[in-house]
Amino acid sequence: MTVPALEEFIIGIRTMPNKPPTRSSNWKRDFAGELLQILGPDGVISSPEELIAYECDGLTGYRIKPIFVVLPRSAKEVSDIIKLCNRENVPFVPRGAGTGLSGGALPAGDGVLISLSRMNRIIEIDIQNQRVVAEPGVVNLWVSNAVGRSGYYYAPDPSSQLVCTIGGNVAENSGGVHCLKYGVTTNHVLGLEVVLPDGEIVEFGGKALDHPGYDLVGLFVGSEGLLGIVTKVILRILRKPESIRTILGAFEKIEDAGAAVSGITARGIIPAGMEIMDNLSIRAVEEAVQPGYPQDAGAIILIELDGLSAEVEAQMPLVIDVLKENRAKEVRVARDADERALFWKGRKSAFAAMGRISPDYYVQDGVIPRTKLASVLGEIEKLSAMYGLRVANVFHAGDGNLHPLILYDASKKGELEKAEELSGEILRVCVDAGGSITGEHGVGYDKKRFMPLMFGDQDLDTMYLIRCAFDPKGLCNPGKLFPTPRSCVESGRQTYKEHPIEKSGLGERF
Amino acid sequence: MKDSIKEITNIVGENNTLSSSPELSRYSVDGKRPDIVAFPQTIEDISEIMKVASRDSLSIVPWGGGTKIGFGREPHRVDIVICTRRLNRIIEYEPSDLVGIAECGISLRDFQKALSEKNQFLAIDPPHIEGGATLGGIIATNDSGPMRLKYGTIRESLIGIKVIRADGIIIKGGAKVVKNVAGYDIPKLYVGSLGTLGIIVEGAFRLHPIPEASETLLISFPNLEALHETVLIILNSPLVPSCLEVLNPPLVNVISDRLNLNLKEEYALAVRIESVERAVRDQISKVRDICREKDGEGVLFEGKTEEILWDEIREFPWRICGENRVVCKAGVLITGVPSVIQKLEGLSKTSGLRIYASARAGSGILIISIEIDSTGLTQEKILPIVETINSIRDFVTSLKGNLVIQEAPLSLKSQIDIWGEVGASINVMKKIKSLFDPNSILNPGRFAGGI
Repeated sequence: MTVPALEEFIIGIRTMPNKPPTRSSNWKRDFAGELLQILGPDGVISSPEELIAYECDGLTGYRIKPIFVVLPRSAKEVSDIIKLCNRENVPFVPRGAGTGLSGGALPAGDGVLISLSRMNRIIEIDIQNQRVVAEPGVVNLWVSNAVGRSGYYYAPDPSSQLVCTIGGNVAENSGGVHCLKYGVTTNHVLGLEVVLPDGEIVEFGGKALDHPGYDLVGLFVGSEGLLGIVTKVILRILRKPESIRTILGAFEKIEDAGAAVSGITARGIIPAGMEIMDNLSIRAVEEAVQPGYPQDAGAIILIELDGLSAEVEAQMPLVIDVLKENRAKEVRVARDADERALFWKGRKSAFAAMGRISPDYYVQDGVIPRTKLASVLGEIEKLSAMYGLRVANVFHAGDGNLHPLILYDASKKGELEKAEELSGEILRVCVDAGGSITGEHGVGYDKKRFMPLMFGDQDLDTMYLIRCAFDPKGLCNPGKLFPTPRSCVESGRQTYKEHPIEKSGLGERF
Repeated sequence: MKDSIKEITNIVGENNTLSSSPELSRYSVDGKRPDIVAFPQTIEDISEIMKVASRDSLSIVPWGGGTKIGFGREPHRVDIVICTRRLNRIIEYEPSDLVGIAECGISLRDFQKALSEKNQFLAIDPPHIEGGATLGGIIATNDSGPMRLKYGTIRESLIGIKVIRADGIIIKGGAKVVKNVAGYDIPKLYVGSLGTLGIIVEGAFRLHPIPEASETLLISFPNLEALHETVLIILNSPLVPSCLEVLNPPLVNVISDRLNLNLKEEYALAVRIESVERAVRDQISKVRDICREKDGEGVLFEGKTEEILWDEIREFPWRICGENRVVCKAGVLITGVPSVIQKLEGLSKTSGLRIYASARAGSGILIISIEIDSTGLTQEKILPIVETINSIRDFVTSLKGNLVIQEAPLSLKSQIDIWGEVGASINVMKKIKSLFDPNSILNPGRFAGGI
């Protein structure tokens, strides 16, 4: 490969396709005028004070103010906005409720933020066929609420389900505490209406299964808003289980809790969820919401069994045996729905509870094979000591999805940087153990630099081919997921090669 | 061409290629004979072959067990067949993680056998298990069976993948952990892509424990309405059947004969329950009660005979339809299933064709097999079959469903639309194909929309 001269390289990177061309002084006003024409006065936000609310998502460390926020009400409006953005080469970023933790909805500078919050209708409920058709701004929990009386529910239940939206769930392929048995968003989405990055409205999949052609639904779910904007989602709903039992086990050592998890699946039992919290987390949530967890336990495990009563009742003694075999010092079974809710309340408020014991915290989201739990926790403990920062551990133990919470004090000089470094080291440990850098929060802006830990250049190039098939101009949610900016070459053969200057760390594309 | 073949022979060794005509004929696809069949033993060898093919624009047909080679449209060209059967190693299997990684030339049967030693299984039950269907072929076709009601298809179990692209570059996607959202979901892209985006060489699979107990009720109903009401009651109850299969009377008749069951030629429903023993007994008795109210009469299957029954249901098109048949898969909504079955009954009467159907009632998927008289397929005989298939498709499409032809004699294939309408998303699919395989050397023309 011939290497361009440094000068050429710098000129090259200054004219990257994402850079808007030189524009006239009236450009912004004219652009706003056209947006107003599409959306009406209540559909465009442009005042600096109001824009502040949109400058970040749940990852608050990064903030960028968009030039406009738009609030479309239909796929047609989304399409018109996108066509306008294409004509003017303006990048655009979709946003649901903004609860994402990876910066996936971080606005693009000089870009438009498309909030789907007004597209919040449940369009169709079809109980007999077990389908719900929803707009992207519908809140996750509304779906279960809408079909609950008929005895059904929507299975993926991220902790933020009271506010997060179905559109955001589709973008991130959200999980939850019950996905061990029932799977994540991708296992429950059957069809999509999507506005492609050039403004065309298309349908992927449908209400019936096995749509012919490539599985574009499967490809789109979890694509983090880089392949288009979803405007309608066909969901599968499930019949509520007859019986639910929640068991709490307390252990001296977290390793024993981890071993119990493997012990349970080894008995052929797949609980709906298995969650572990360490002592630091137990104490934090007790202070915050008083779930009554044993305060002196090194770790607790929450196990939920669901299904037919006969099945659940048969499994319960087996599970309790396994807990005891692994030296559980206390086992409680929730007596009723209230106590069950209390058990879960502690778990679901774990992230927020960190505020009680630390001025700042960072939520990590790594995945490891179940069997590596004990050794990885040991590694995390060592790292925590090495960096002098406390790490609380909360995780979906059944599927090996760890959420280490790194506690730090941003007001202390250098501590934020230390926390970031520690958090990166934890991911390295996860990948070395054969795992992943993210189980449910997504790569977004936050973790793109860690993608090379899991994927080689060719793997990333291949992913970029998909990006190019959908969005050759790179206008849709740019700057996310890929570790380095890439551009689509028309021939399609080669995408992007890192310049030697970048590789050596001397230069960076911008 | 000659030089390329020589190069490929050098890559895998002469003993691992076929190049004489009679041998090559066995690897023909829709009558098109390849110039060489290669049996590489390593992923790297496949990569080298692909580089040659891509340089010389030679077309490639990936071949696993060859059990579903009738899938898809007639290929434009068949130059090289790459058979993956020597890529059959289990690479990693950690029972406590419920994850297994294997090369994709391994047959599902062999993979399940290894897993069963640890009381686990890959939760799919597509046909052609005894015929040697491979993991790669099952991924490429997303072929499935009655058990998809509980576990989904291979789409739900495939968590990581290694693929060789058209240009020979080896790439991976997904991971070997169940939960992972890093990057695009490459495994999903390859599920059902029929070898048009690369050769699938390795997969990481989520596994399940083998349930402690299993029983099946096969219930005959006096009419389709009573059967459908029963299906809806079961689906709308807390019962958790693994399979819920509706068999039409001609199929019931044949299976009854084959297994000596003495069933009337009526509609029948097969309900399979798997769980711990107590829960199986409990559910089976509830199913029995529901059926009795609808005048359904049941026979209970367990153990070996239960396996044989499901084997018959899964493999029926290839067991009962002689040498020639058309096999279709229709997808509709749950409530659409009985009307499709009824439609088939009507079409069978008007056309005089024998149409067998088995419907995954809880998934809305129907496997339809039309028997074809094997003595010479004249255009006169073909025409009513083509008309029947078109009528089924029109009807299914009117229900917002889809119909795909999975197997048909070549003379028929050219006269029917194999994949049906894909819709506007075909443009995105074509774009993906053109970026992944710019010279269209992978299974050219076989896939939906002419991909």
